[in-house]
Amino acid sequence: MRERIVTALRDSKADYTEIRLERREATRVIYRGPHLETADALTDVGGIVRALCYDGGWGVATFNDLADLPRRVDEATRCAKAVHGEPIELAPVPVAQAHVTVPLPAANDFRGISLAEKRDLAARYNDIILKHDTRIQDTRVAYSDSFARLTYANSQGAYIEEERPMVTVFLLTVAREDNDVQQAAEVWSRPAGFEVALDLEGKAISVAQRAVDLLSARPVEGGRYTVVLDPRLAGVFAHEAFGHLSEADFVYANPRAQEMMVLGRRFGPAVLTIADDGSIPGQRGTHPYDDEGTPTGRTDLIKDGVLVGRLHSRETAARMGEQPTGNARATGYRYPPIVRMTNTFIEADETSFQDMIRDVDHGIYACDAFGGQTALENFSFSAGYAFMIRKGEIAEMVRDVILSGNLFATLANIDAVGDDFEWLGGGNCGKGQGGLPVSIGAPHIRIRDVLIGGQ
Amino acid sequence: MNLLDQLTGRADQAEIFTTNGETTTVGFKANELRSAEVSESSGTSLRVLANGRLGFAGTTDPEAQAQLVENVLASAQHSDEVPLRFPGPQPGPAVQVYDADLARLSIADLSEMGREIIATIRQAEPDVHVEMELERGVRQWELANTAGLHVGDEHSTLSLSIMVERVREDDILIVFDYFATTTLVDGDTPLDFARDIARRLELARRDATLVGGEMPVLFSPRGAVVLALPLDAGLNGKNVFMGISPLAGRVGEQVFDERLTVVDDGTLDGRPGSASHDAEGVPHRRHTLIENGVLRGFLYDLKTAALSGPEVESTGHGSRGIFSPPSPSATNTVVAGGEASLEDLLAQMGRGLLVESVLGLGQGNVISGAFSNTLGLAYVVEGGEVVGRVKDVSIAGNVYQDLQHVQAISREGAWVYGDTWLPHILLPALNVVTKG
Repeated sequence: MRERIVTALRDSKADYTEIRLERREATRVIYRGPHLETADALTDVGGIVRALCYDGGWGVATFNDLADLPRRVDEATRCAKAVHGEPIELAPVPVAQAHVTVPLPAANDFRGISLAEKRDLAARYNDIILKHDTRIQDTRVAYSDSFARLTYANSQGAYIEEERPMVTVFLLTVAREDNDVQQAAEVWSRPAGFEVALDLEGKAISVAQRAVDLLSARPVEGGRYTVVLDPRLAGVFAHEAFGHLSEADFVYANPRAQEMMVLGRRFGPAVLTIADDGSIPGQRGTHPYDDEGTPTGRTDLIKDGVLVGRLHSRETAARMGEQPTGNARATGYRYPPIVRMTNTFIEADETSFQDMIRDVDHGIYACDAFGGQTALENFSFSAGYAFMIRKGEIAEMVRDVILSGNLFATLANIDAVGDDFEWLGGGNCGKGQGGLPVSIGAPHIRIRDVLIGGQ
Repeated sequence: MNLLDQLTGRADQAEIFTTNGETTTVGFKANELRSAEVSESSGTSLRVLANGRLGFAGTTDPEAQAQLVENVLASAQHSDEVPLRFPGPQPGPAVQVYDADLARLSIADLSEMGREIIATIRQAEPDVHVEMELERGVRQWELANTAGLHVGDEHSTLSLSIMVERVREDDILIVFDYFATTTLVDGDTPLDFARDIARRLELARRDATLVGGEMPVLFSPRGAVVLALPLDAGLNGKNVFMGISPLAGRVGEQVFDERLTVVDDGTLDGRPGSASHDAEGVPHRRHTLIENGVLRGFLYDLKTAALSGPEVESTGHGSRGIFSPPSPSATNTVVAGGEASLEDLLAQMGRGLLVESVLGLGQGNVISGAFSNTLGLAYVVEGGEVVGRVKDVSIAGNVYQDLQHVQAISREGAWVYGDTWLPHILLPALNVVTKG
């Protein structure tokens, strides 16, 4: 295969060409309530050619049939010649030659574990949830594993082979009482072996209990509150509301974003540091190289409250006169790489959780994220569940907590960052191309004067 | 289809589903054509019934056929029993979903279409940035089973996703939208779609203010998606079977205002959700789900219907992918238009809010019917006229309460996101939260 790839690249008529091929084998077991939805295996094979013509632009061809690579290169080149835009340059990076393996201990290599054993594991978690309370009406319990082999090569001489394993367990509980339906979910996922999926019995119970608890929680009263975010919601906030604005493709295409995202601008208090790092061992967004062959590493975005960096592909780095950061990532062979986050986190500071809530007279402790949307500096997020904070104590559970506001005002209102940093795996980023594995990390953070929607 | 032969004798019934598709896509950024792409995709998935157990497997690797057969048998071995039989041949309606002219559109044609769309929008509002993808594609699917069924069809699709951004100092307006059709012959064209976006931008030139509280709220067809989304989940047979749909067990009851009628219709010519049969070979037909506010039925695929009891049949709503086993999904949803004109609705609402789009669509507890959203684009209405755009507004409610009292529904409407037709819906009183 290597010879076919190298030959196709050599014969390309484009100014720059890259080929990425992927072969992925996966198994999954999904329960919905007491019923097994499916226990099956899949094989996904495909590839992408991306070509750049200096007198045109980017052209792309994607395919499942890997037989005729020269034809795919020609198709991508034809697309590249059809477009005309500002000239595109690629910032130089070292030519990577690598073979990346992720050794899985034999006992935990999920490729050698039977579908029956995976099914029994999922069935056990599902039973724990179903039997937890009579009000539990529905579940979605999914075990999945995936082992991908990627080959990346470009016409500048890069050639990388990489193994990408991933194991994921997803537990969703739906509780119902009369016409009221509430849900709680958690996910565990890492590029590792079967051990990721084991010993989650206690977690299954807590997810089930939370859905039941939400039935008796009352909807939050809308208004402005001091809000303490748990690490997961803080991490989602850092990724969604801030991180996407740090993606250079967004910044250069957008005059308003250029005004907003001036390096050196103060974004928050001195206790706030946010960074992205695609080289942290064992996280979902970790790879030695990105999908353009650029080595990954740490990029500080906000340091001590000041905007200091942003995330780049080779194209955006050249365009803005900055360094590539190894953030060109693609969601599989159907997509060309675009600027994406890897593992994005808020660095820990020194405030304990107890100190954070101690002087909050009337506030909200918001946990987990159901979803959200951002439009430039405006964001809207829903917490998975939440509690009132009354006179410095965590009080009753509340629900339907939607946080919204302006990013800059909100970052400026952060007045405490916790000492209890946590990595939270299981994240998928949906930018443009659907789910790409990322990790988020954060401690608890406290924000003053947040608008909470409610009925 | 020789995979079916390989499975004969090893399973009681077998089914093969194949797809082949190709697309051409052009992308615009900052009003300029910046990328072009061609894509080919193909794949095969199998299902078997063996000892009453249902197995599934899929692959995109043409070399992996033997593996696929072993995988589907292993899947059945580890599955639960389900009282299901794959159906034999059943005639379906003739549905037009292929347009040879659309299928022939080239990169140059799509680029030209994109330029016209951007020119139309910038004629109304010069100072905008448009980001857009235009895609034409042709996709064939084929389904055969050991009960003698053999169906399939060929779809041509033109789709367009667009983001228009207007920035004036601290005032930012972003309009997202999506258009899809299978034909260029009938119905709205991409240029009609562009003119409608231009109209929304023009209406948003002036700002208006609003004091929060309970007030009449008018949902435009695009805004009404926030109301339609929970209904889509509540009418899905799988959510009914699992007992989490608030509509479960209420067929025949008056669940909504009598003005509300909702139909699922996979037989409409030209619509992306249409075909003669669903992806399990069950014929499509028109289903009235809510008739004058009375609940009439739900959407089922074969498996969900089989599990739901002997009296329940598939309604032809099995939707699947190469890696996704069939599951119930709406085809084209139509919320029926009413008697009144949009003008009447605007006149009778006094001072109120017109919702054009929300942020965070689908966030929160959709199945419960609850919605709580910051608004993307909304206008203040007064004296029968749109007086200007209002910012920093959010709405909250629950469709299972709020749709029990609908003040009026317009006869005008639009296809939203390709497969949902929605009119304007006026609710007499909804809680509106404003900043400050």
